[in-house]
Amino acid sequence: MNVRMMVPLALGIAAAACSNLPRSRDLGNPEVSGATLARQVCSNCHGVTGDSISPNMPKLAAQQREYLSAQLRGFRSHSRRDPAGFEYMWGISRSLTDKQIEELADYYAAQTMARAVSPVSANERGHALFAAGAPDRGVPPCSSCHGDQGQGNGKFPRLAGQHADYLVKQLTVFQRTDERPEGAIMKVVAHALTRDDIEAAAAYLQDSR
Amino acid sequence: MRAIRFPGMSVVLLVFCALQPFDASALPAFARQTGQNCMACHAGGQFPELTPYGRLFKLTGYTLGERSAVPFSAMAVASDSHVQNTSKSDDSKADFQKNNSLIFATASAFAAGKITDNLGAFLQVTYDNYASLSDDGKFHGHTSADNMDIRYADRSIDEHRDIIFGVSANNNPSVADVWNSAPAWMQYVPVPSPTSSSFIDGNAPYPGYAAGGNLAGLTGYLFWNQQIYAEIGAYRSATGIASFMSAGVADAEKTRLQGSNPYWRLAWNHGWGAHSLMFGTSGMNAKIFDDPLDTADASTVHRFRDIGFDAQYQYLLDPHTVTVQAAYMHDNHRYPAFLADQPASDAAGNPLPNTNARDHLDVFRAKATYVYAARYGASLGFFNQTGSTNSALYDPTRVYGNISANPAVRGLTSEIFWTPVQYARIGLQFTAYGKYNGATHNYDGAGRNASDNNSVFLYFWGAY
Repeated sequence: MNVRMMVPLALGIAAAACSNLPRSRDLGNPEVSGATLARQVCSNCHGVTGDSISPNMPKLAAQQREYLSAQLRGFRSHSRRDPAGFEYMWGISRSLTDKQIEELADYYAAQTMARAVSPVSANERGHALFAAGAPDRGVPPCSSCHGDQGQGNGKFPRLAGQHADYLVKQLTVFQRTDERPEGAIMKVVAHALTRDDIEAAAAYLQDSR
Repeated sequence: MRAIRFPGMSVVLLVFCALQPFDASALPAFARQTGQNCMACHAGGQFPELTPYGRLFKLTGYTLGERSAVPFSAMAVASDSHVQNTSKSDDSKADFQKNNSLIFATASAFAAGKITDNLGAFLQVTYDNYASLSDDGKFHGHTSADNMDIRYADRSIDEHRDIIFGVSANNNPSVADVWNSAPAWMQYVPVPSPTSSSFIDGNAPYPGYAAGGNLAGLTGYLFWNQQIYAEIGAYRSATGIASFMSAGVADAEKTRLQGSNPYWRLAWNHGWGAHSLMFGTSGMNAKIFDDPLDTADASTVHRFRDIGFDAQYQYLLDPHTVTVQAAYMHDNHRYPAFLADQPASDAAGNPLPNTNARDHLDVFRAKATYVYAARYGASLGFFNQTGSTNSALYDPTRVYGNISANPAVRGLTSEIFWTPVQYARIGLQFTAYGKYNGATHNYDGAGRNASDNNSVFLYFWGAY
């Protein structure tokens, strides 16, 4: 390698690389498709099929498209302001166009949730909260809005297969803060849940598919 | 700056007040580009250690996000150090010049970020306020090129494969690496001006390549399915159009390499749940001229062969961050013929500087850190350097001497730190030596023990 070759080489590469729409990570270019952003950018945390490895990052595979779209709009407008939102998602979403948001929602809604690693646990408390709620404390069953399999329904997100740690943190956000105003209904639902309830329901849902 | 007794409360107040103007909405260059919090890329907000996401951000050429109109950042460090024993010295004022003094230690300027969809850069220039000491006992500041990495990267990713590949033009072997156990990155940061504080951790041994930095290198790399990382390249002297990579370094202090010198890196990476693990190996062969000002004679070249093994474990689940790094480097040094195998003394009985044809040096470092809520952190590190005894190391100077002519150094460094806002950090380090310059006791021949060099180091770091 000759050092004197480095600058022309770098300039040549730069000239060839000003725009690379099919494989761009440019969050400020409205021409980049949602599917490209999902693969080149979002996959870094959420996995290429939305099946994230780290429980710090929610799984997005097979998520409801209406819910995904609303969340991305909420991040973009800063109406969703829980720590996971503003630390990671405000910046990522700040220049997304409506079209890109819809394409991203379509991309993840079309993915398949990976099979459960372990069978649904014999978590009777979690299952009872999911299927029957706690009527004596005014807690409705999760399944009444989120579907009998936890698959979600429109603006109500899929819960089945989600990381338990993420579910616990978000239930806590709903219960104790107003940082997710679009989910205000969850404040009412979650107010009577104990920490043990939340952990049991989250563990049950993580193992569900 | 007026010297203030360490660790006076006034110091804390002064610097904390000085940090207040940092506007929480004004982000350093990369954070401006992505709009994200620092902890998205840096584990628990520790610099420079990268999260799995930060590693991908770097490997994809710093191109994720929106090109920033002002791709610049700056950071500055103020520090105060205290050596345990300054009495075993003939002239403690000269031997421990800035002991117990709050100093403005270093400052760096960065130009960093996305240039095109495939091209990005990280360019650091550092000002060291205590870069050199003149005969009259005064320190002088100096600015020079620090870490530089300009890279082209692309990524082919779908449901079946994920291949990131790229080329990096950089000035420091392993600066293109993304794990914190690589020699260019495994360090307690900030590293203050070492000339002002001789026994703090920043001056204790770290695994590294003999060729050091401020070189001109070109490496190609590949990250396959986020599992296998391979990098190979070569380094030359930073001359001609690459001379900006050693800008500000005096000619007599530059590393002058003969021809192209190979560097390689191989790592296995795995993530599961909140955990990630890496095992790696790397190496470099370097031919370095004995006198950087005389590169005409090939027979004056020192030959170094470095091989390293390293590992990193991370557990990242808000609000907890646990990271562990370990790195080992073996360095083999073959002297040029005119220096090798000299007798211990000349005909007149004067000692000659080098009795070996080859030397070896082995350096091991390990460090474990816990950070809570990217705000409160504590770490414990261990370092151990061993190597061959060589009369060239013999030095009867008090405090800094070595009468055993052996390079062994061993010790522990512990640190606690507080990051009140993500662009400011206050840290307190304690470094304890079990061995220094080859011995535990009386290493300088004048009664100074390794433990006399134990040091406390307080720092204030800010970035913008």
